[in-house]
Amino acid sequence: MRILSLSILTAAAALGFASTPASATGAIKCKSGPVSGWKSQDTLKAKLVKEGWVVRKAKVDGGCYEVYGTTPQGDRVEAYFHPVSLEKLYVAKRGKVLFRKEGY
Amino acid sequence: MRTILNKKTVFWLLLSIPAVLMLSGYWRGTIDSMDMLHPTGEWSARLMIIAMMLGPLAAVIGPRPWLKWLLFRRRALGVGAFAYAVLHLIFYMVDMGNLDDMLAEWTMPGIWTGWAAMLVFVPIALTSNDAAMRALKANWKSVQRLVYAAALLTLLHWFWVHNSYQAAIIHFAPLILLWVVIFAKSVFSPKVQSKGI
Repeated sequence: MRILSLSILTAAAALGFASTPASATGAIKCKSGPVSGWKSQDTLKAKLVKEGWVVRKAKVDGGCYEVYGTTPQGDRVEAYFHPVSLEKLYVAKRGKVLFRKEGY
Repeated sequence: MRTILNKKTVFWLLLSIPAVLMLSGYWRGTIDSMDMLHPTGEWSARLMIIAMMLGPLAAVIGPRPWLKWLLFRRRALGVGAFAYAVLHLIFYMVDMGNLDDMLAEWTMPGIWTGWAAMLVFVPIALTSNDAAMRALKANWKSVQRLVYAAALLTLLHWFWVHNSYQAAIIHFAPLILLWVVIFAKSVFSPKVQSKGI
């Protein structure tokens, strides 16, 4: 019984881990082509600051630019932008989606 | 050497290693307050889950020397989980920087569940000592059982604040699986059934 339980546990745990994708982060994905065609992160940051954002951090995630910061409305958010057009695609505050562009 | 390694103080030191690494990164300026939130919360959940798994694991696989070794240190795991939760809260406060911003978002599903889990954690941590055990007698167990509520709130907090379930489920899966096995054993075990009849 012990061996049986242990093997069930191991098998189930293995199954659980195997069926979960390794990269679970990334709220959305961007089909953004080669990096050479991308605008720079600094361009995006400057654009956002001009619009009234406070940018804390920016990085690449799922082919998009992911930005952590505060919106002009004062919401602390995680936002995604297209690296070629710099268009806003997704905004979430503490896990709650505030904006999601159609198709993303 | 073996005696030294088996000391509970050594176990406490072991549990504090992730915190020391994170805090030194923060003080050196390589980790920003926002990036302290995820690892502190994750370590809190990990230690809580491990502490909660030991009892059910003993019930499923029977007594094992390593399990006994860990059970002997379960309190350290629980208090460690609380300590990481406190760090998590401190860095949330540091990151928010002011009370108004915290009050403005506390009603969000991902946030109030975190506060609630912390509140439930407090009495459990405060009674995690021999004096409280003696004073509370049979009630002590009931206070410690609040950890099930804390676990549920932690799971919801993680799930909502991330808006994704994978990481939370991966961490909680072993505990849930153990409960499933225990439940299955109690249903299929002929001994228990004959008792029922």
